[in-house]
Amino acid sequence: MIQLYNVTKRYSSDSVAVKDLTLQIGKGEFVYITGASGAGKTTFLRMLYAAEKPTRGQILIDNRNVTRIRTSQVPSLRRKIGVVFQDFKLLQSRTVYENVAFALEAQGKKRYEVSKKVYQTLKEVGLEHRLQRKPLELSGGEQQRIAIARALVVDPLILLADEPSGNLDQDVTLDIMELFKRANARGTTVLLATHDHSLNQRFPRRVLTLDQGRLVGDQHPLQV
Amino acid sequence: MLENIRYFILRALRNMRQWPFLCSAAILTMAVALATVATFFLVVVNVEQLAQRWTREVQVVAYLDQAPKQQNVQSLINQLNAFPEVISVTYVSQKDAFQRFRSQLGDEASLLEGIDSKLLPASFELGIRPEFRNQDGVNKVIEKLENTLDVDDLRYGQKWLERFNNFVSMLHYVGLILGGFLLLAALFIVSNTIKLTLYARRDELEIMALVGATMRFIKVPFLLEGAIQGLLGGLISLVFLSLSFTFLISRSLNSFWLTPTDFNLLFLTANQQLILVLSGVVLGTLGSLSSLRRFVRI
Repeated sequence: MIQLYNVTKRYSSDSVAVKDLTLQIGKGEFVYITGASGAGKTTFLRMLYAAEKPTRGQILIDNRNVTRIRTSQVPSLRRKIGVVFQDFKLLQSRTVYENVAFALEAQGKKRYEVSKKVYQTLKEVGLEHRLQRKPLELSGGEQQRIAIARALVVDPLILLADEPSGNLDQDVTLDIMELFKRANARGTTVLLATHDHSLNQRFPRRVLTLDQGRLVGDQHPLQV
Repeated sequence: MLENIRYFILRALRNMRQWPFLCSAAILTMAVALATVATFFLVVVNVEQLAQRWTREVQVVAYLDQAPKQQNVQSLINQLNAFPEVISVTYVSQKDAFQRFRSQLGDEASLLEGIDSKLLPASFELGIRPEFRNQDGVNKVIEKLENTLDVDDLRYGQKWLERFNNFVSMLHYVGLILGGFLLLAALFIVSNTIKLTLYARRDELEIMALVGATMRFIKVPFLLEGAIQGLLGGLISLVFLSLSFTFLISRSLNSFWLTPTDFNLLFLTANQQLILVLSGVVLGTLGSLSSLRRFVRI
């Protein structure tokens, strides 16, 4: 599903975010990406959804070369990828429903399809009773669940999460992890960047460890 | 397709409702900018019109040494009328001139009691065709007049004509330059205001790109919003302009001493009004377009 070959990302001559990364992630895998702050986790994810172009190397997603993609093709790539952020990135001026529907509307889906699918997805994350609220009226955990609903509502092939529980307490984190696991069980490939090792202890999965932009560890749960 | 159009329009309207302050700031900025340019245009047009009217007063008056005999007057009039530059010929006899003077004196007319009514010279007043109401035209008429009549004195306001010609050409240049500056300033202010409104919504633009919205899908509602705001701005400026025109400008100008009583101030014609509103739409759309280019990056 995701293949990287010698990928390097340099922001300036003396700052290398990702260095010579070569790895493969299969369809339906659940992978943690760990490492200290500045290890290159975020840059790695951003390159996957074409927000950054690698300085060198090739990235293939679903057999498509992302590094050679034209700007006009970026939207079609992103429709296969759901992204969840630490700071949620919700539209504060819109309701919960609108925030989730947004992702489908952006793909030009019909109105009745949108409303059906949005309701279904919000029910999955347990927020179907909050449809008409604005994000700021909700707790952090609830906001993150909306963000996850927005990422999942399009049935993505890949779900990328960048420190999704960074701002949340332990209980809420477990709820959120449950949502990721369920999405993974339905066949979505999940990449979760975190520096919280307790997650891996609780839900052991493959772990990629980055250090100063290099891949220094690739452990599968059996080896842990 | 239809679903998309419906979505775009709804989205544009909803955006405007969600950001009422930004939206009204953009509308008002455009209204003020358009009204300023249009007011300036009206002033230039009206001053030009007024100037053209002053030239109506351009006439050549030939004062005669000797009043012609009554039976010769008509043939002289015919002769003068044959000049291509001349549109009208009026003969003012000595008696008529005296009569005019008397009526101009009004209450003081009694001063003229006992004075010979042949005191004033007879004269021909020649109206000049509009296309000859300039120095060259008037000079030609004078030349011919001097060959035809026994002229004692000529009045044709030569200096005034010179100044007038300079004034009209200056008006054109100043109008063009100032109007151009105003237009540029208006464009600059409008595009900056729109930039500001987009800056406040850059998160929204970013998230749209993130969930796989195409450029078209992101841009069209904003462009539509710009167009609607421009339309409203154009309409507001038109209403503002016509109100201030009827209640302020025309009243104060009509009481201005320069204005002849039968002078009607020009307002924008129907076409010009349409152009004003449409330029609002164009301004709003272009303003959004140029700002979007800076904020929407995939």
